[in-house]
Amino acid sequence: MSHISHRERGNDLELEVDYVVVGSGAGGAAAAVTLARGGAKVAIVEAGAWRDPEDYPGSSYGAMRDLFDDWGSQLARGRALWPIVQARTVGGTTVINSAICVRTPGDIFEQWERERGVGGDAMAERVWAHQDTLERELSVEEVPKDARGHSNRLAMLGAKGAGYESHWIHRYVKDCDGAGQCLQGCRAGRKRSTNLNYVPEVLRLGGYVVSSAPVKRVLFEDQRAVGVQGRFQHPKTRRRGADFRVRARRAVVVAASATHSPALLQRSGVRSKALGEGFRAHPGTGVFGVYDEPVDTNTGATQGWASTAFREDPGLKLETLSIPFEMVASRLSGGGKNLIQRIREYRHICMWVHAVRAESVGTVRNGFFDKPVVKYGLNKKDMLRFRRGMHLVAQTHVAAGAKKIIPGIQGMPYELRPDQVDLLLEAPLDPRRYIAILSHLFGGCTMGDDPATALTDGSGRVHGYTNLVVADASVIPSNLGVNPQHTIMALAMTFAEDLLDDAPA
Amino acid sequence: MSPGLGYEAPVNSFIEHAMTALYPRTAELPGIEDTDLSGFLEKYRSESTFMMWLGLMAGTFVFIATPILTVYLPLPSFLLSARLLDKHANRITSTRFYLVRQAIFLIKLAAGLCWGSHPDVRRAFAMDPYPPDPGTWKTS
Repeated sequence: MSHISHRERGNDLELEVDYVVVGSGAGGAAAAVTLARGGAKVAIVEAGAWRDPEDYPGSSYGAMRDLFDDWGSQLARGRALWPIVQARTVGGTTVINSAICVRTPGDIFEQWERERGVGGDAMAERVWAHQDTLERELSVEEVPKDARGHSNRLAMLGAKGAGYESHWIHRYVKDCDGAGQCLQGCRAGRKRSTNLNYVPEVLRLGGYVVSSAPVKRVLFEDQRAVGVQGRFQHPKTRRRGADFRVRARRAVVVAASATHSPALLQRSGVRSKALGEGFRAHPGTGVFGVYDEPVDTNTGATQGWASTAFREDPGLKLETLSIPFEMVASRLSGGGKNLIQRIREYRHICMWVHAVRAESVGTVRNGFFDKPVVKYGLNKKDMLRFRRGMHLVAQTHVAAGAKKIIPGIQGMPYELRPDQVDLLLEAPLDPRRYIAILSHLFGGCTMGDDPATALTDGSGRVHGYTNLVVADASVIPSNLGVNPQHTIMALAMTFAEDLLDDAPA
Repeated sequence: MSPGLGYEAPVNSFIEHAMTALYPRTAELPGIEDTDLSGFLEKYRSESTFMMWLGLMAGTFVFIATPILTVYLPLPSFLLSARLLDKHANRITSTRFYLVRQAIFLIKLAAGLCWGSHPDVRRAFAMDPYPPDPGTWKTS
């Protein structure tokens, strides 16, 4: 077993492998395990520390400190400042997401082929074949009946009442016990995050995992990527440690996320007009419903119910989401005794959310201290979708029997009666009035056959460079309208297969 | 953050003032003053990033300086009566000035992390206390 964790200064690390994979989340782990299964010597280099369920902290404070990238403080800069939530740990965001598994819709491959000259039926078949494998290996199952919790059951009831299709979510979770801890890392070990399966498998197959090791730059000889270098960072004190350099005989695979991959390539000197362009996201927000009976939203699956009925028109996904109590306390508006009065309703409230399949496009640039700088704002069409989504969620709460709705929009009443939810259709379109986040990030290293508009080709190879591949959400050139983990993992496996096919015998 | 720069005590007292105003004690629930707030702030200062700590200090400054926007008095918040301070704490969170709201949100968030994870508060909402924080990671 060759897991190399933080090293103090003076104890520098030099490794040489066939492939070095930067990042251990959905894309990195899937690419690495495919390469390792193909007989290659692989090193995964991950900026965060390796924590298993017994190391997960439990509280939101601990999760922000130990698992989130930059304490969850990364913001997209636009008219409003909306947070971008990503992880920085072995397993990447698969450790702190709800592990939602949705197959890549067929229209996405058609769109990519039409607009970007990649994708099409051939890619679709390969991606779906990998998704078959992933579903089997990572024990994808529908949220079990006993783990649904009241909030998810109410949402199903509400969707039926409101007259639209919805479903129990399929997740990379085996035998969920409904602890409601997905966002802080599943301490019960039921969630199949990649730190628990594909990353250890790479080790078992003779590879390396280098953790607490943020990569400073990709190394090149002419236009050929030959490795990566950086400096260890202590998981607790964040003090810089020893230098590391991992040389790759065959290729460097960058899978550091839709924000970090473009930033890393920029500071490594990769030149392309397309680099950092085409950043997209699913911006979303939550609406609380207040019920007569206790909902106890902290019990049951964090996200157990969803609807894709509005994916095409107007371009929305609806889901339940149970955020930790501490976050609810800061999410409700007000302060002082009024806030405490509002929090007293906690056991009776639950939040359901929407994610907008936004058309808006932003950029990612490498900023100071190697931090990605994301510029992104919603255009009017997307804000109309955003507002419509809030109305749909509120209507669903009403159909489920909520006695009040808490929309959380600055300048509107704190709570609405069921007969007032149509006021949301006239809610302001100024994004600064809303508390929202960007989830599901795409782009920055987008795929396409034209190097003038795409950084990578249909196998993730960076145009104009050799032995350099991107294998994460940053290659995705459009907004999927569904949760992306399944697509990211299957695409990364496809790219890794292509690398193995290219390798000399 | 490096410890022992000498500014911590006064800064912490201002932050505690803002957090206590936002999450006060009530007849039904403990307030943030009933938690180990000083210990939390010390931990937060040493464990969080420089930008997070800076944001908390900026939020506190904004909280203290803005009673003019909420209760229409040109006084720092720590000179307000208890009644006006409570009114200020409530109104400032929904002010129409976006950046002010964002700054206050940073205090609310940090304070929420402290208050909301306290065992007595969690018990009041039928939740188990959080397990001990392991603070560990794999080294081999």
